[in-house]
Amino acid sequence: MLNKLRSRLRVWASRREFEERMSEELRFHIQEFADDLIKRGVPKEEATRQARIEFGSLTSVKGDCREARGFHPLDELSRELRYAVRLLRKTPGFTATALATLAICLGANLAIFAVMDSILLRPLPFPDAGRLVTMFNSYPKAGVDRDGSSTTNYYERRGRIQAFSSLSMYAHGTAIAGEPGSTERRQITRVSPEFFTTLGLGPAFGRVFTEAETTYQTDNVAILTDLYWRQHFHADPRVIGRQVRLDGNPKTVVGVLPPTFRFLSSTAQIYLPFSSRLEDRMPSERHSGGNVKQIIARLKPGATLEQAQSQIDAQNNTLELSDREAKMMAEAGFRTLVVPLHADHVASVRPTLWLMQACALALLLIGAANLANLLLIRANGRSKEMAVRQALGANRMHVISEVIVEITVLTLAGGLLGLGLGAAGIRLLAKLGVDRLPLGSHIAFDSRLAAVTLIAAVVTGIALAAPMAWFNLRDHLRSRLQAESRGGTTGRAAQGLRHAFIVTQIALALALLTGAGLLGLSLERALAVSPGFRAEHVLAGQISLPGKNYPNVQAHLAFNETLMKGIRQLPGVSAAGVVTNVPLSGNSGKSAATVVGHVTRPGESPRGHYSYGVDGDYFAAMGFVLKEGRFLTAADSRGQDRACVVDDDFARYYWPGSSAVGQRLFEGGSAGKDSEAFTVVGVVGAVKQAGLTDEAAQGAVYYPYPARIDGNLFVVVRTSLTPESMELPIEKAVRRIDPELPVSDLQSMEARIAGSLMVRRSPALLAGIFSFIAVLLTAIGTYGVLSYAVTQRRREIGVRMALGATPKQIRNQFLGLALRLLAAGTLLGILGAWLASQAMRTVLFQVPAFPLATLAAAAAIIGAVSLVACMLPSYRAARISPMDVLAEQ
Amino acid sequence: MGKTAELLPGTLDMLILKAVSLTPLHGYGVLLRIQQISGDALEIPQGSLYPALYRLEHQDLIVAEWRQTENNRRAKYYTLTAAGRRRLREEAAGWNRLAVAIASALNTTPEEV
Repeated sequence: MLNKLRSRLRVWASRREFEERMSEELRFHIQEFADDLIKRGVPKEEATRQARIEFGSLTSVKGDCREARGFHPLDELSRELRYAVRLLRKTPGFTATALATLAICLGANLAIFAVMDSILLRPLPFPDAGRLVTMFNSYPKAGVDRDGSSTTNYYERRGRIQAFSSLSMYAHGTAIAGEPGSTERRQITRVSPEFFTTLGLGPAFGRVFTEAETTYQTDNVAILTDLYWRQHFHADPRVIGRQVRLDGNPKTVVGVLPPTFRFLSSTAQIYLPFSSRLEDRMPSERHSGGNVKQIIARLKPGATLEQAQSQIDAQNNTLELSDREAKMMAEAGFRTLVVPLHADHVASVRPTLWLMQACALALLLIGAANLANLLLIRANGRSKEMAVRQALGANRMHVISEVIVEITVLTLAGGLLGLGLGAAGIRLLAKLGVDRLPLGSHIAFDSRLAAVTLIAAVVTGIALAAPMAWFNLRDHLRSRLQAESRGGTTGRAAQGLRHAFIVTQIALALALLTGAGLLGLSLERALAVSPGFRAEHVLAGQISLPGKNYPNVQAHLAFNETLMKGIRQLPGVSAAGVVTNVPLSGNSGKSAATVVGHVTRPGESPRGHYSYGVDGDYFAAMGFVLKEGRFLTAADSRGQDRACVVDDDFARYYWPGSSAVGQRLFEGGSAGKDSEAFTVVGVVGAVKQAGLTDEAAQGAVYYPYPARIDGNLFVVVRTSLTPESMELPIEKAVRRIDPELPVSDLQSMEARIAGSLMVRRSPALLAGIFSFIAVLLTAIGTYGVLSYAVTQRRREIGVRMALGATPKQIRNQFLGLALRLLAAGTLLGILGAWLASQAMRTVLFQVPAFPLATLAAAAAIIGAVSLVACMLPSYRAARISPMDVLAEQ
Repeated sequence: MGKTAELLPGTLDMLILKAVSLTPLHGYGVLLRIQQISGDALEIPQGSLYPALYRLEHQDLIVAEWRQTENNRRAKYYTLTAAGRRRLREEAAGWNRLAVAIASALNTTPEEV
């Protein structure tokens, strides 16, 4: 055994010597054999010939000898590898083109797949995460598709739904952390006691919250994330029992989460108990969700989503029997929907991500078709060599494995380059805002992705090698040897294959380009939408007033008044106001309003409207359009006459054809005492609350600030300076009033608009880049194949010209071929583009059902580019001189 | 040339071992020697000779060394090792047993059944 190993090692170490010795030994044999033949009277030259023939194929004997020494097949592979590298180095132009194509196509796929993988494919980081679900109340007929869950829902459901092993509630929020003077607003998440049990992942040490810690009097405890613990407590293992200051209150640390804990896209570093008052848990609060509080649950083993859904439905039906709002809720189409947690969290980006991956795959296909064509052309150049080698005894398996090894070496090298490009691509995607997508902040380039890429490279290689191997072995070698000139059946079959690849390329590039065009068109249409306010020179930032220091309306109003006064004194400020929610803030919750005198029409559901509380000169600061009446002012928030302003969507819906001014309405879903009604004093233009592409005319009501008081408010400032230059002065103005108050999310309204269009701009940009590369590849492919056809048919062209064909005829012949390919590709491409545009409908905006103009433009671009690519070789064909060609014979 | 017989599978190795057991030989010599000792009855396919030699060398049944031939050429001479000698003995014994058994089977007459 040891001897064998030593022999093998020896052989490996002196491989060259082995080869030389083997050749010498075999040569000696043939010489001796020939000498013997000569001795028997055979003439010298004849003897050598005969000796060679009788010995048989040297190549295959050598191969057998090597095998006998035990280095097959690994050694064979290394020989083939060296051979492949040598061949590839002999044609640097081809190799560079192929490597660049592969690196770009595989890199693009890697970058997109990295995003797909971490957002859509990888399970959430919890044990058995597939069993986690969430649920939300939906009132579709009122225009409210999603309204979170209420505290009441949580208390009524936990422990009572058989399909769940655990059910809990959470709410994302913010809190002011730190000591006075150095405070900052931090994301926090309030969670019910079973939250970590439901997820299946709890504190690394310490404990979870208890049932006793769910009231405002007893909830001064906190659980820290690993990151917060390391940054603020220097990973002190005795942190339990120490305190963090939140909103001015000390909270006792009771647990620290493990470093792997990541709840959806939450950036919260501190978890607090979800507290509520007993009143909040009453049946009357059942429908007061508001999209802040969410329920998650874990399905019992064996329980299905459908069972959970039907149990929730059954419970809702029972509870609604005694609900005094039941009729209204039924009219609003109330239902609670149970959905998988992960899928639901990423639902908004799924179509776009799949679309981007499809684009990247189309690019890879185009690149592969290109490469296949280049390889076919190259293989044709070597077909005679192959035939000779087969005639000399190279066995078929060797030829096939050589082709596979060569192409796989190529694609693998391309894949390695693609890894680098992909890593750079992931960074580019981060710049395009991928990290702001749900689960998008954890996109990493890891070994798993590298493995996927290299596997993809190998698969591409084998897919490309298959037609080449077929091409090399297909017909009997004798006919190949005889096929001195073009025109054998293989030639024609290979030509057909090349043309098919060109047509495919053109079709795919056309579909891709149309897709990119449609995305661009949607973006353009979205950009053209007016947000409803003058966004230039407006800055808005969020402030949250902790209930401890700002317990009531008076405190809020006093704060607002001081703030407005302070800000108005700043240089360059023309107007300042306060509002509970700015357009495009990401929060588009709606609530009900009851219009006096409005008779519900048959089939009409109660509607959810955007509702705001405003103070100061909000409308002037944001740049609203006044349609009728007047704006609300600071005086309206402080006086007794209950005034409100509605937008024209609201006015048109309730008072079509008549003036809204002077009409009266109640805030909320039911009419109250007459003295609680608000009188409409003005109508303003509608603004886009949910997004520029949101086309629902939902209607909005602007109340005086006290009617919609909220711990979170936005300060809005119109300035003649650049909005960014106002950031620091505004922060200082706020701190002068209350050193504990940080301003967060401070950005210009233009930046908010740009941010809200990120989901359109980035895919359009990416698709644009992809289709640019696709068009380029198609041009290269078309040019290469036509060029080759011209070179291959030089002799035929020369003869025909000698016989009287004009250069024009020759040129037209090639242009005709190009046009036929282009026409076929375009037809297929239009079909593909139409299918693609149908599949893309959900991500498009205001694009016609049959996007003729975009299709035509895309077809024109592809047509022009491919025609130019065809023109060059066609004209070259026409310039072939018959004398030169005939002289070459 | 007289009648030649096809080699039975597995017998080439044994014949090579036998040939080099008599005197060190180079590859071509092995070929000639087998023809000679079999009375020209066995034809060795030249293509399979060298892979067999390399296999036997790899199994340490024979060793090789480079020497001058009488014609002053360099050639690789193979010699039997102790292990090779043992193997030859075993294979020869096995072959003889088989040959006797087959011969006696073929010589069986109806009376002996």
